Amino acid sequence: MTNLAGLADDILVDTLLMEIAGLLGRFIEFGEHGHIDLRAMPLSPACIDNLERRLGQGEVTAVVQAAGRSDIRETGFPGVWWTRHEDEAGRLIALLIEVADVPSILAAERVDMARGRQGLRGRTHLAGHAASHKRTAPGS
Amino acid sequence: MTPDETLDEMLRRRGFGRRSLLKFAIAMTSSLALPPALAPAMAENLARARRRSVIWLSFQECTGCLETLLRSSSPTFDALIFDFISLDYQEALMAAAGTAAERTLREAVAANKGEFLLAIDGSIPTRDGGVYSLTGGRTNLDMLTEIAADAKAILAIGTCAAYGGIPKAYPNPTGAVGVEDLIHDKPIVNIPGCPPVPEVLSGVLVHFVSFGVLPDLDDRKRPVAYFGTTIHDQCYRRPFYDQGKFAKSFDDEGARQGWCLFELGCKGPVTHNACASLKWNGGTSFPIESGHGCIGCSEPDFWDKGGFYTSLAGGSATGWRNAGIAAAIGIAGGAAAALSVRHKTTPDKPDKPA
Repeated sequence: MTNLAGLADDILVDTLLMEIAGLLGRFIEFGEHGHIDLRAMPLSPACIDNLERRLGQGEVTAVVQAAGRSDIRETGFPGVWWTRHEDEAGRLIALLIEVADVPSILAAERVDMARGRQGLRGRTHLAGHAASHKRTAPGS
Repeated sequence: MTPDETLDEMLRRRGFGRRSLLKFAIAMTSSLALPPALAPAMAENLARARRRSVIWLSFQECTGCLETLLRSSSPTFDALIFDFISLDYQEALMAAAGTAAERTLREAVAANKGEFLLAIDGSIPTRDGGVYSLTGGRTNLDMLTEIAADAKAILAIGTCAAYGGIPKAYPNPTGAVGVEDLIHDKPIVNIPGCPPVPEVLSGVLVHFVSFGVLPDLDDRKRPVAYFGTTIHDQCYRRPFYDQGKFAKSFDDEGARQGWCLFELGCKGPVTHNACASLKWNGGTSFPIESGHGCIGCSEPDFWDKGGFYTSLAGGSATGWRNAGIAAAIGIAGGAAAALSVRHKTTPDKPDKPA
């Protein structure tokens, strides 16, 4: 890479850092979640590496296994998340910076929780006894 | 699955939770160039969505478009959208044949009148009353006119359906045209390419299923999200173009170094498509990455615009020349030329090859 190209990358990364700071400000003030779609921008791999390096590593790292792997990592700036999503074949399908208390994909969905509650009840000993009793009941 | 089953119910049956749907929506908003903040709303709409009927008619075509869409279906999550649509008629895929197939088509149109998406691959011959391509004794022209009247929207899949494609190449013996030349009272989405990039079709379907409307289109009725930039704009070899480093032959040092293929006839500067970003074969590569220039297959009349190996800067590639000369003189010139091609209101219709 020429020095000129390196300088252009640095300017792009500086601009993105300013944008992230703005998103963080809006979240703090209004609770508004912010996103930057890094794949929608003409960023070179070197530029993305540069941005990732300058954002650093924070306290939280999470892996979600849902229709492929997702790596969710808090950067060195609390509330600024580096999120990388792959499909089941390991292909990158989204690369985002999210500004939020918690990225939305980490939160459990109510509809899944309701189904989980039913599943939990089915796993209790009481449910087991009831099933067993039903099987052995006279006339059954 | 039952016709009334929602996408959420279908996913549940297959063992997917809502996180999977949200992740799919995140990927699709990215693919469709929508704000990522729309992903939760898209996921919610998709969860409640019910199956949409698609009727697919193949006209004057080589089946390459259908092949690429079928072969693309790796067992990944985005393949689910193809399971979720109800493909009610497709001659090459359906079991029914003959009169049973004709009955299936009539029933599918009647049951989904005004609501189904009509997918077309292949051009429509119009010369001599359209006799050069018939299905069950009916001309493509008749079938298109009749069935389009009951469709909600039309997807013209591939360059042939969009602009006439190779059947329209000089001297166009069958009088081949694209769908937009015949149908003027229905929304039409052109998804050109020979063949088209399969992910573009899935993106258009997802947008339609989740929001109930078609995505934003450009002046050539192409989804802006996928056709808004040129291959050149997104090409990984673009820095070499900017630095003036060009391969002079397919086996010289420049070619081995991966330099720009502009001088070997690459039509990337004037071709709008998503090959350079979405790539092919599960994101493996695209033609330029394999060492061959773009042939401009998603642009109207690409076959008649001059040699694939003639530089846009001159030679006999006169069909591309206006755009090509500007592209050759620099980045700004190339961008201006690309814009002039995009915003042209009347497609090029050469009487004979350039």
